[in-house]
Amino acid sequence: MQYTLGVDIGGTFTDFSLIDAEGKITLWKEASTPKDSKQAIIKGLNAMSENEKLPLSDFLGRLDLFVHGQTIATNTVIQRNGPKTAVLCTEGFRDVIHFRDGFKPQRYNIQLQPPKDFVPRYLRIPVMERVNYKGDILKALDEESVFEAIKTLKKEKVEAVAVSFLWSVVNASHERRVKEILKAELPDIPVVASSDALPIIREWERTTCAILSAYVLPGISKYMIELEDWLHSNGFKHPLLVMQLNGGTSTVSKLLEKSINAIASGPAAAPMAGLFASKRMDVDNVITVDMGGTSFDVSLVTKGAPSLTRDLKIHENPVGVAAVDVHSIGAGGGSIAWIDPGGALMVGPQSAGAEPGPAAYNQGGTKPTCTDANLVLGYINPDFFLGGRRTVDTTLSEKAIKQHIADPLGLTVPEAAHGIFRIINNNMVDAIRVVSVERGIDPRHYSLVSGGGAGNIHAGMLGSTLGMKQVLIPRYSGVFCSFGMIVSDVRHDHLKAFTANTDKFNLTAVNEVIADLEKKAVDEMVEEGYPEGEVILKRFADAKYPAQIHELTVDVPSDKVLDESDIKVLENSFHDLHEQMFTYSVRESSVDIFHWRVVAYRSVKEPNSQIMDLSSDAIEVAKKGTRDVYFGDINDYRSTQIYDGSSIRHGMVIKGPAVVEETTTTIVIFPGQNLTVNRFGDFVLNLES
Amino acid sequence: MSSLAPATDKNVDEVKRSFLAELDIDPITFSVILNRFSTIAREMTLTLEYTSWTSILAVARDFSCAIYDAQPRQVCMEDALPIHTNSLHVILKSMVKAFDGNVYDGDVIVSNYPYAGNTHVGDFVTATPVFYQGKHMFWSVTKGHQLDCGAYEATSVAPSAKDVWQEALQIPPIKFYEKGEPRQDVIDLYLANVRYQELLSGDLKAQLGSIWNGKRRMIELVDEYGPEETMRYVEAILDYADRRTADEIRTMPDGKYYAEGYVDTDGAGNTDLKVAVTLNIDDDKIHADFTGSAPQGSGGTNGTQGVMEASAGIPILCAIDAEIPHNDGCLRHITCYSPEGTIVKAKYPAATAMATLCPAGQEQEVVWKALAQACPERSSAGYGHFHCIPTISGVDEREGESKGWSAMFFNGGPAGGASYGADGWPLIMTSSGMGGLKIISAELTELLYPILIDYHEIEKDSMGHGRTMGGTGIRIRVSPYDTPMDCHNTGDGAANPPFGLQGGTPGIGGGNYRENLSSGHRDYCSSKGYLKISKGEAWVGVSSGGGGFGDPLERDPNLVVEHVRDGIISGDTARNIYGVIFNEDTYVLDAGATEKNRQGLKEKQGELPLIQPMGPSASKWLENDMREGDNYLLDPLP
Repeated sequence: MQYTLGVDIGGTFTDFSLIDAEGKITLWKEASTPKDSKQAIIKGLNAMSENEKLPLSDFLGRLDLFVHGQTIATNTVIQRNGPKTAVLCTEGFRDVIHFRDGFKPQRYNIQLQPPKDFVPRYLRIPVMERVNYKGDILKALDEESVFEAIKTLKKEKVEAVAVSFLWSVVNASHERRVKEILKAELPDIPVVASSDALPIIREWERTTCAILSAYVLPGISKYMIELEDWLHSNGFKHPLLVMQLNGGTSTVSKLLEKSINAIASGPAAAPMAGLFASKRMDVDNVITVDMGGTSFDVSLVTKGAPSLTRDLKIHENPVGVAAVDVHSIGAGGGSIAWIDPGGALMVGPQSAGAEPGPAAYNQGGTKPTCTDANLVLGYINPDFFLGGRRTVDTTLSEKAIKQHIADPLGLTVPEAAHGIFRIINNNMVDAIRVVSVERGIDPRHYSLVSGGGAGNIHAGMLGSTLGMKQVLIPRYSGVFCSFGMIVSDVRHDHLKAFTANTDKFNLTAVNEVIADLEKKAVDEMVEEGYPEGEVILKRFADAKYPAQIHELTVDVPSDKVLDESDIKVLENSFHDLHEQMFTYSVRESSVDIFHWRVVAYRSVKEPNSQIMDLSSDAIEVAKKGTRDVYFGDINDYRSTQIYDGSSIRHGMVIKGPAVVEETTTTIVIFPGQNLTVNRFGDFVLNLES
Repeated sequence: MSSLAPATDKNVDEVKRSFLAELDIDPITFSVILNRFSTIAREMTLTLEYTSWTSILAVARDFSCAIYDAQPRQVCMEDALPIHTNSLHVILKSMVKAFDGNVYDGDVIVSNYPYAGNTHVGDFVTATPVFYQGKHMFWSVTKGHQLDCGAYEATSVAPSAKDVWQEALQIPPIKFYEKGEPRQDVIDLYLANVRYQELLSGDLKAQLGSIWNGKRRMIELVDEYGPEETMRYVEAILDYADRRTADEIRTMPDGKYYAEGYVDTDGAGNTDLKVAVTLNIDDDKIHADFTGSAPQGSGGTNGTQGVMEASAGIPILCAIDAEIPHNDGCLRHITCYSPEGTIVKAKYPAATAMATLCPAGQEQEVVWKALAQACPERSSAGYGHFHCIPTISGVDEREGESKGWSAMFFNGGPAGGASYGADGWPLIMTSSGMGGLKIISAELTELLYPILIDYHEIEKDSMGHGRTMGGTGIRIRVSPYDTPMDCHNTGDGAANPPFGLQGGTPGIGGGNYRENLSSGHRDYCSSKGYLKISKGEAWVGVSSGGGGFGDPLERDPNLVVEHVRDGIISGDTARNIYGVIFNEDTYVLDAGATEKNRQGLKEKQGELPLIQPMGPSASKWLENDMREGDNYLLDPLP
C-alpha cells in the first residue's frame, strides 16, 4: 500500500494528513516542538507508522509524496532572531526602507512609535553606481566602493547580505557583478540580489524582499536540508516538497533560491484544501474559512484558482511576491468580549489563548470569551469538550458573562452570550467581505468551506448572513491545511518588468519577453525532475490606464504566440476587471503593462476518495440525547436534538435546529437549515430549505 | 494611546449604564451597524485610491470619503486626510442649501468654492444623495485634491495668486448629473478650464465611482434594517461618539490657553505673519478663537472657514481616544471663530489657494501649543509644514512626442513631531495629513516623469531632540532631463521651524535652493516661490525634522549611541545635547561618564521651556548653510 502525507507545523500542534491508495484518510495531531520542529515530525511519523503496523523505514519507503509546511521563516522575521544582515544599495539611496511609502497608519494616534528599520542604517552600505529607467548606465559600478563595503561587512561580522540597486529591474548587471565579488570575497555568506528575489519596479518592495530573503535563508536552509537528509536516511525515496506562500509546492533546492516563498506558507494551503472538497461536488468558486483559538483566516478560490495578493506585509515589511490572499482577523474561540468606554459590545482581537484560556477552563481566566458564550448558549457540550479531553465549567462562563457583559448592558446572561455570538459572527462576515465584496466579488455565487475545529458552530450563521446556499465541512476540517498541502500543485512564478502600451504594442518584443520567461519556467521544472510535457504555463500581466499608478493583474492568452487580436483581448480583460472592481472603465483609453508574469504548474496526482454507500439506516442511530440550546429566532432556549457525527451516514437528513458532535468539532444546525453527508463523507450544511 | 491612562477610567460602568438607560436600542445591532458604516467608508476610500489617475490621489491619498445623513450630519468618515475630517460638512451644507427642494435620485452635485465653506479651491467635492423608496436619507460624499484647478500658474495651490480669479476656476455648487443623466455641457465647461484634462477627467471618474459605491452599500444597509431602524441607530451612533468625546474632554483642565506662531511668508514678500489662538476648554467643549492673528496676506496664503474648523479639530482629535468615530457627535464638541479679513479667515475676493497647507499648519500648531499648556502629555511637538514639497511640471519629450506633465513631489517632505510616548515619523509632510499622504517610489517617479532623483537621504541632525525625538528630515536633489522643469514651492515652516515641547528642541527648519551643477552656485528660495530648473541645474530640498519632546538628557543613552552609529545625529549632538559619552570606534556606551556628563549639563540647564522657540524667524539654518556668492530669493515669481 502506498501513501501521500501532508505535515503542517502550527504554533500549538503539528498536523498530519495521511491518505492511502484506497483513499482512506488518517488525521493526526502532535504537540509542536518549537525549539526543534523536526522532533514533532519524527514523533508523528513513528506514531503513524505504528498505526499502519509498519516499521518506520517501510512506512517512509511507501510514501509517494511528502509535503511540508513550516513556520521557521515566519518566526525568524517576527522574532527578529535571524542572522546579522546588511544591504548594499545605490549611493544616495540608503534610506529606502526607512522612508517606506511615507504612510502612517492610525492617523490620530500620536503615541504610535514608528517601525524600527529592519536593517539598521550603519548596515545599509552605499555603493557607487547608477542606472536609469531605460537601463542605461549613468554611473559605472565603482568596484573600489564595493571593496570598501566588504571591509565593513567583515568588520561588523555580517552573516547575510542583500544587494538592491535602483533600476536593477531593467539592468541587473551591477547587482550581478557585486554578487560575484561578494561570493569570491565572502564565500560562506548568503547573498541575495533584488533582481533575483523580486524583479519588479518599486525599490521599497524589491529591497525589502531581498533583505527578508537573505534574512530567512540560513535558518530554513539548515532546517530543510537536515529534515530531507533525515527522511532520506530513514527510507523516504523522493524529494521533499515544501509549501510556498504562492499556494504551490517546491523542492527544497528551488525554494532556497527564492527563500521569500517560505514565509507565511502554512495558511497558503487553505484554498486548495477547500477546493478539493468542493470540486468533488462540482463547485469551483469557494470561500474557505478557518477558525482556530485566536484567529480567523479567510481565502478565496475563483474558478479553481486561489486569489493572490502582492500586498502581503510581515510586521509592516512588504513581501512583494505573489502570495495567497489569506485575510486574517483576531476572531477565535479564545477571543475576549468587552465593552468599550462608550458602551458598545466588542469581541476580540485580544484573545485569552490557551493560557489562561476561556473562563470555563478554570485556569485563572476570568474574562468572557467566544467559547464561554458558546457553552452558555448550549452549542458546545461541556461534557464532550475536545472529544472529552478537557473539562470545562459552564458556571464560570456564566459568571464571567454576567459580570463583564450582561450586567453593564442590562441584559440577561443568555442575551449577552447571544450578543457575543452575533458580534463575532459579524466580525467574521466583515472579514469575508474584505476578500470578496471589496474585491468586486459577490459571495452569493460562492460556496463556503469551513475548516478548523471552532468554526463549525458559526459556519451556518456566516453562510446565511452572506446569502450563500450551503456550507461544506470536509472530513479533514480539523487538520485543514496539512490536507491542503497534499492536493497543492507544484508552482513557480516568473516575472519580468517590460513596459508596453496597447496603442503602440511591440508584439515581437513582448513575445520575446514571454518566450524567455517560459523557457526559464520549463527549464526549472525539468531541473526539479518533472517531464517537460507535464508543465502547465499560464500568463498574466500587470496593467493600468496610462496615467494610473496602481495596476491590476489580468490574464494574457496562453499557449500561443501573441498576435494583433490578442492585444484587444488583453485590453478588454483589463476594462472588464476594472469595471467589476471599481464600477467604471474607460473603454476609449489604451492600457499600459509594466510587468509580465508566467506561472508554471505541475499538477499533483489527485488522491483517491473513499466512497460511502447510500445508507438506509434510520436517523435514530445517530441520536445521542437532547439539551437546551439558545436560538436567536425565538430568543430563548429550546430542547434540541443532539447527534453523534460519526454515526451520520450518507443519505440521512438532519433538520435544524440540531447540534452534531464529533471528536474534533461541533456543528450547529440553525432553524430552517439541514445537514446531510455526501458520498465522500463530508458534511453539507444546507442553508435554504 | 498606549502609554497613557485612558481618560475614561473613572466611572466606566456608570457611563455604560446611563448610556443604555437613555437609549432604547439593541446594543448588539448597534455594534454591527457601527462597524458596517466604517466598512462602507473604507470601501469608498479603496475605490478612489485604486482608480484615480493622478499620484496626488492614488498615492498621496489627498482625499476623504464620508457618509452624511440628509440634514446633513457626518455619520461616518474614513480618515484618509485629517484636514477634511472636521470640515467637509461646511461645504456640503452650502451644496445642500443651494439645491434645497431640488435634489433627485441620481444627482451628482460638485463644488470647489472656498467662500461657500470649502477648504480651498484645490479640493473638489462630489456628492450624491442616497434615496430609499423615494425618500432622501443620506449623502455619499468625497473630497479630493485636484492636480490642477485652472489657476494662472500650473499649480493648484498658487502662493502668489492675488485673488479668486487668479487662483482657480471657481465652482459654486453645481450639478454634474441630474436624475442619473450627466450634464455633459457643464462637465465640458469644467474640463475646458483646467490643465491635464485627461488626468482630471480620470480623477473625476474615480470620485464618482467612490460615491456610487458608497450609495450602493448604503442602500443595501437600509434594505437590511429598514429606514426607520437605520435612522434610529444613526442617532445612537452620533450619541455614542458625543458621549465618549465629552468624557474625554472633561478630563482636560478647564481654562483659557493662549499661543501664537508665525507663517514664514504670504507668498507676496511679507514675512512672519502671526497666527494666534485662545483655546477655551470648558467642561465638555473646546472653543478655538483665532482673534489676534495677522491681517490677511496679499498672496494665496490665507485661511478659510473650512480649514479653520478642521485645524481647530485635528490636535483635539489626536488628544482624545483615536477609536472614537469622527462623526457629528464627536465634532460638535469643537467650535472655532475668527474675525474676517485675517490670515485665518480671509475676506472675499482674497485668494486662499494654499489654505490647507498654510495657514492650516500654523493654525494646528498654535492649537497644539495651547493644548500643551493644559495637558502636555496629550499634545505634540511641532510638525513640518509641507516644506520641500514642490509642484513640479514641464514637458516630457523622452519618447519623441511632447506631452505636458505635473506632479506634487512629496518624497523630500518634512517629518512629524515627537509626542510623550513616541518618536516622530518621517515624511508626515504636514499635520493636515498626519501621515495619510504616501510618496511615489523613486523608480516609478523616474518612469512617469522626465526627472532624475540624484539622492534621497536622511539629513543628519535635522530633527528636534528630546526624550522622544522628532522624525528625520530629508535631503533630496532632483534634476530635469533636456527640458526645463517649473518648480513651485508651496510650503512653510522653514524660517519658523517645528517647535520643541517640554524641553525638547525645535527641528532645523531647513530650506531649498537651485543648484548649478557645474559652478556650484546656489539660489536659495523662501518656503514659497517659483524656481525654473534648466538642464545642468538641480533643485535641492532640505526638509525639517519634527520637534523633540521632553528633556534630551532623559533619552535612553543606548539609543543615542545607535543614532550616532547610524549617522542620524552627530557625535557632538550626542555629547552636548543628549549628554552621552561613548567610544567612537566601537560605539560602546560609557555609562559612568554619561551619567556624570548628564549631571553636569543638568545643573547648567535651568528650567526647561514648555515651548521653544517663542519668537518669529528662529531658524538659523539659512545663515549657516549659505556661502559667499549664493543668492536668497524671497517669494520669487515666475
